[in-house]
Amino acid sequence: MKPFKHISVAALIAALSIASLTAAPAIAKPAAHVPTRIVSLSPSATEILWGIGAAKQVTAVDDNSNFPVGVPTTTLSSFTPNVEAIAGYKPDLVILQANATKATAVQAALKKLGIPVFLEQTPTATAGAYTEIKQLGQLTGHTSQAAKLVSSMKKQIKAIVSMFAAPKIRVFHELDSTLYSATSKTFIGAVYKDFGVTNIADAAAGADQSGYPQLTAEYLIKANPQVVVLADGDWGESKATVSARAGWAAIDAVKNGKIYTIGSDISSRWGPRLVDLYRAVGQILSHVN
Amino acid sequence: MKKRIWSWRVTAGFGVLFAVALVVGVSVGPIPLPFAGVVQTLFGGGHALSSVDQAVLLQIRLPRVILAGLVGAALATSGAVYQTVFRNPLADPYLLGVAAGAGLGATLAFVLGGSVLLGATGVALVPVFAFVGALAAVAVTFLVAGARRSDPRTLLLAGVAVGSFATAAQTYLFQSHTQILRTVYSWILGQLVAADWSTVAWTAGYLVLALGVLFVIARRLDGLLLSDEEAHSLGLKPARLRAVAIAAATLATATAVAAGGLIGFVGLVIPHLIRGLLHRATNRSLPAIALAGGAFLIFADLGARTLLSPAELPIGVITAFVGAPFFLWILRRGGRP
Repeated sequence: MKPFKHISVAALIAALSIASLTAAPAIAKPAAHVPTRIVSLSPSATEILWGIGAAKQVTAVDDNSNFPVGVPTTTLSSFTPNVEAIAGYKPDLVILQANATKATAVQAALKKLGIPVFLEQTPTATAGAYTEIKQLGQLTGHTSQAAKLVSSMKKQIKAIVSMFAAPKIRVFHELDSTLYSATSKTFIGAVYKDFGVTNIADAAAGADQSGYPQLTAEYLIKANPQVVVLADGDWGESKATVSARAGWAAIDAVKNGKIYTIGSDISSRWGPRLVDLYRAVGQILSHVN
Repeated sequence: MKKRIWSWRVTAGFGVLFAVALVVGVSVGPIPLPFAGVVQTLFGGGHALSSVDQAVLLQIRLPRVILAGLVGAALATSGAVYQTVFRNPLADPYLLGVAAGAGLGATLAFVLGGSVLLGATGVALVPVFAFVGALAAVAVTFLVAGARRSDPRTLLLAGVAVGSFATAAQTYLFQSHTQILRTVYSWILGQLVAADWSTVAWTAGYLVLALGVLFVIARRLDGLLLSDEEAHSLGLKPARLRAVAIAAATLATATAVAAGGLIGFVGLVIPHLIRGLLHRATNRSLPAIALAGGAFLIFADLGARTLLSPAELPIGVITAFVGAPFFLWILRRGGRP
């Protein structure tokens, strides 16, 4: 009798799990706990929410969220979040950047008000972006769309990387005119790394743990980058201003005119437009090859 | 007569120190350059170095070392003058709100100018805004201190309040214009990083004027250490002398801030060190203080360039690391160097 009982238990479990599997697609509407008044305080998260089809569940987005067209941009700050201002939107989910001012205190205060918070970590590699897309998919009841988005992004990025691979090309990615850059241990640096380039900021990785070292001009000129990518084009830097810098005429990138700007938005966000970032970087590198 | 010869010798001694700092600063850096090649390139003009090394030496390193020397000289001299004028050993461009005023002025320049100003040509406007901000801060400090402005404590406290106000206004501008945040922050941490010959040229221009005036009135400045009545009896006009000294020191500070960002403690450490070494508080040592300040900042910048090479270390970190303990030491000794 005893083994028989075991079998019946196993059968019951099996039956239940089959039932739950078949039942899952039957849930057409989001379940009761799925948030419908989301406040996104991260431009990346906003783009992800639109990408996975959760747009209708979003009530408000922060002042830096400007894509896609038509997002409900408000004066809410993503850098210095204000608990009262956020609570005013009566959200049932708040997406907060972990590196915002006093993020954990804001999170605790919102939780006291009964508002769930998703604390968004800044990814240091593309894997982190995929993780966040899947997490937001789960939280908003768009698991399958999130999975679809991730696999489509991976496929496109793989194709772009194989088309534009630029092994050992020396690249300088400029964050501002005082030569702040990004090593391969950062999100943007990981993108360059995928193309196989030599990131000249990596030499400073040991000295500067932040991943965003400020390079000395002497080193930069000696490292002789073959291509300069300007993420500070919005702040007035251009091929002309870079070429005019003292001593830079000795650099290959300046000699050969290989200086390009890249949008500061796409180069600092890890949403669906990551594909656009790869495409932009790939096209820049193709000019050097 | 004897005294004058002695004073010239001291000044010449610090001139040698400054020259040594220049040589070391130019010879050492993140990129090793052969010393013989450096000397030949600087004095022979030949092609002893590769074109890249020559660019590193002449376009990057040399203007940066010279700018550090100029900024250090300006900060140390204006610090010394403020200490005399306000009869307070702890007076320096920071405690008086002058540097904060200059910082606010420069931030305002970035905000008003936006992307246009941040281009290559617009940056030259920043020192003008910095000077206006610094002068405004000094003027407000004077007005706030009111009739008791000859009381050093009142003036210093007024300076701290004005400095806090300027910093608050600056923070407000940051928060409401987040697009300039990064640019202004890296500017505040110091622009020696981006030194070029045009920066050296306008910095030198302003400083020749400001330091020139201060050196000329240096002897008379000692009269300000006395009470105003005593100064009058020596035939000095303390009010006018004070105004000229403050204006010139403020121009020097604003130029230093505009060229090098906010670099603290140089104006405090160097005057005390030099006056302590010479056992005298007179302003005859002003040129020596200027030379020592220049040498100090060249060495501090050498640290900024090389300690984390090939990454930069903000120079303010180095000067504060040396200066803050020194400040506490002066406090413990009751303000006497």
